[in-house]
Amino acid sequence: MIGLGILDAIAIWAAVGLITSSQYGLLAVLVIGCGLLNGLVLSRRAYPIRYLAPSLIFLFGLVIYPICYTAYVSLTNLQTGNLLSKDRVIQLFEDRYYLPEDTTRFAYSAYLDEADAVILVLEDAVSGDRLMAEAGQIAPFDAEDPRITVDPADQSIEIAGYRRVEGLEIYQIVSRLETLVFPYADRFVRLSTVREFAVYEKQYAYDEATDTMTDLATGIGYAPIDGTFTSADGEELEPGFQVWVGLRHFASLFRNARIRRDFGRVFLWTVIWSVGSVLCSFSLGLGLALLLNDKKLRMRMLYRTLLIVPYVMPVFISALVWRGMFNENFGIINRLFKDWFGFAVEWLDNPMLARGTLIFINVWLSFPYMMLISLGALQSIPEQLYEAARVDGAGMFRRFWKVTLPLLMISLAPLLIGSFAFAFNNFTLIWLVTSGRPAVLGAATPAGATDILISWTYRIAFQGGAGNQYGFASAIAIVIFVLIATISAIGFRFTKRLEEVYK
Amino acid sequence: MRKTLLVIMLVSLFGVVAAAQTTLTIYADDTRTPILQAIGADFTAATGVAVEVIEFAYNDLRPNFITATQAEEGPDIVIASHDWVGELVANGLVEPMDLGARTADFSSSALEAFTTGNLLYGMPYGTENLTLIYNKEYVPQPPKTWDEVLAIMRALYDPDAPMYGLAFQNTASNFYQFFPFLSAAGGYIFGNDAEGNPDACDVGIANEGAIFGATLYQDMLNEGILPSSVDWDTLNALVAGKNVAMVITGPWLLNAIQDAGWDYGIARIPAIKGPGGAYFQPKVFMGVQGFMISSFSENKALAVDFLLNYIATTDVMAQIANAGNRVPTFIPAIGLASADLAAFSEQAAFGLPMPSIPEMSSIWQEGGNALDLINAGTDPAVALQQAYDLILTAVGCE
Repeated sequence: MIGLGILDAIAIWAAVGLITSSQYGLLAVLVIGCGLLNGLVLSRRAYPIRYLAPSLIFLFGLVIYPICYTAYVSLTNLQTGNLLSKDRVIQLFEDRYYLPEDTTRFAYSAYLDEADAVILVLEDAVSGDRLMAEAGQIAPFDAEDPRITVDPADQSIEIAGYRRVEGLEIYQIVSRLETLVFPYADRFVRLSTVREFAVYEKQYAYDEATDTMTDLATGIGYAPIDGTFTSADGEELEPGFQVWVGLRHFASLFRNARIRRDFGRVFLWTVIWSVGSVLCSFSLGLGLALLLNDKKLRMRMLYRTLLIVPYVMPVFISALVWRGMFNENFGIINRLFKDWFGFAVEWLDNPMLARGTLIFINVWLSFPYMMLISLGALQSIPEQLYEAARVDGAGMFRRFWKVTLPLLMISLAPLLIGSFAFAFNNFTLIWLVTSGRPAVLGAATPAGATDILISWTYRIAFQGGAGNQYGFASAIAIVIFVLIATISAIGFRFTKRLEEVYK
Repeated sequence: MRKTLLVIMLVSLFGVVAAAQTTLTIYADDTRTPILQAIGADFTAATGVAVEVIEFAYNDLRPNFITATQAEEGPDIVIASHDWVGELVANGLVEPMDLGARTADFSSSALEAFTTGNLLYGMPYGTENLTLIYNKEYVPQPPKTWDEVLAIMRALYDPDAPMYGLAFQNTASNFYQFFPFLSAAGGYIFGNDAEGNPDACDVGIANEGAIFGATLYQDMLNEGILPSSVDWDTLNALVAGKNVAMVITGPWLLNAIQDAGWDYGIARIPAIKGPGGAYFQPKVFMGVQGFMISSFSENKALAVDFLLNYIATTDVMAQIANAGNRVPTFIPAIGLASADLAAFSEQAAFGLPMPSIPEMSSIWQEGGNALDLINAGTDPAVALQQAYDLILTAVGCE
């Protein structure tokens, strides 16, 4: 109950934030979500769902929402140069003023009343003429105004009902003064520095009816094309804004000949990499598990603990250590090779060797996991089955192939499929060790010899071209998502068949 | 029970309301944070406006600034490098600045680097560039030409010690360090259009001069006298173990060189004899660092006031530049820079401001791949031509 109270308090706090930043979509989600949650907890009938609800929320927040958002981004032109919303960009242009050469600068005094309304008395720095700015309007200073008294001695001004902002307080209100703009003849008076107002020219005007941005100095009109205000002769205004582009990214992904040419090669290596890593580390892990499972082995606990070490070391550290060890000139491995065999090997610089090295490193990192799950699964195989097999005269290998492996596969196959999907998208390791390199001669896109789909995507979308292409990257991410989902679905169907066979 | 609930709700409401007090927020890197905190305290004492400095690793500044600002949050001021200007302006995240009468206090080339479309977007505090640093123990006099460099490299070369005459970072992510070789005999990144702005479709990394320099580089690798696959960690290890006599590097390696106890000198990167027999001075990228103001700042006047009256003073500018080993761009502070930094500006005479347009990312990508291929023994002409073709397609200039 207290938990619910805290949750509601946080929700109210978040709601206030969302209202002030006018995020009404998220607000609706928040209100509905909280309402449902309160209903669940307070109603007796929904008792079991109460405990399921948190995980459902996380499932939605951390899985479904990101997928939907990625799909949404893939249909927009979100990228460097088109990050902001159109309203925001129009606002930026509308707020752009510049100081003309014949500007006038004013020293100013600010006056505040009880309700924090502000009056400014501006004094022309050159001529000494005074102006008064109030409620968005500017007017010549009128000493006859009944509210005003001018001290005859030092010309200082008092305004009835208002107090003059003195000393440091100006720093507290200057950020408010910054937002004030007063029309003045054809121009505008705005704050220029903390101590000064000045006459500015407005640079752009936006016409909502025709949806054009006009440069007021040159009179050139800019119409929005593909999320950028563009003039008739092709000149573009920075920044651009986000617009829908429909399926354009997917079309360019499938139609682009350069991308198609490299896709096959990268996809093939991605599959070899994930299948190879999983098979090798599983074989090694299972082998070790079988050894450790042998009751004749002494100090099994010690070995087991030691063998888990690669798994508990953070991959960021071990991957970088391995990269250093495989360095061609200075790595420890090549130093040994030079001492023993008299030659150095290009571990990470030769395309084939770099692929092998990567799989080796990945096996080293992941075999302890395979060993752990195999050990667990081995415990669950009933001893009687082995007895029966032995009675039937099956040898050691026959027992392994016919009893151990099939029974293991029932419980381990889903985990292996999971490992496969993980390796398929193992950006971290590839990026830390080779960053997808070595480069490939004749590549049509920045696809290195060890780039897997996800790292290749990263290079195309974030490191090539001009800046970050989030929209395009999301489109590729969706395609990869579909690929993995398909492969996993096939894999799971296959395991299901296994289970039925051995039932 | 009901009461507890009510109290919690009320407290959280107050938290929302009480957040309104004028604060100037700055995103800075670890080197500059302590200095800005001290100056910020002065500013608070003088104006009553709080200054909050949020520290990031240098490489995290830009992504964090972009993410936060895009959501209309983020700082008022950010420490930035001039080559971010293109991306930040294209995204509409930074505000033009007017230094007014103080413009004359800054080196004009540094201001130029922060200018795009005739608007200034940053107040510069320091520049950085590559140069040659040599260990006087092995190289008493700095070499003047590349022939002398080769002679030193051959004399000192010992793969077993190991000992090398020259080293610099030259993995695929070090196109920056590779550029002096391309530029010496006429390679360039982007040409200029009629208005003097960089033209992304005029790429000069595969012209005759560039191929000449890349071939010179590859010959050193093939001869074995130049170590390959040197990354940042390897270079540091070579310097710390005094396994190298000369390095081409920037001011960021100075601390490591001092820690390793080198008796070092700083000189220009020696001239390369070109195809016609004439000597060419390698040109390096110039990076300029400075302060930018967010276009979503609600305290722009305060931010400018802070920058012009508290940061742009001789003492503070010298302090900020020296702390990160950068050459000051604030003219009154140049005299206060350490002698090492003054030596770096020798090479700066042969510096090109690093282009700041977003298309630069494809140069890093494909230029790096070309370097990777050249390292692996591919003909430089072929590798650079492939990079050239891929850059033009990637930036849409086909």
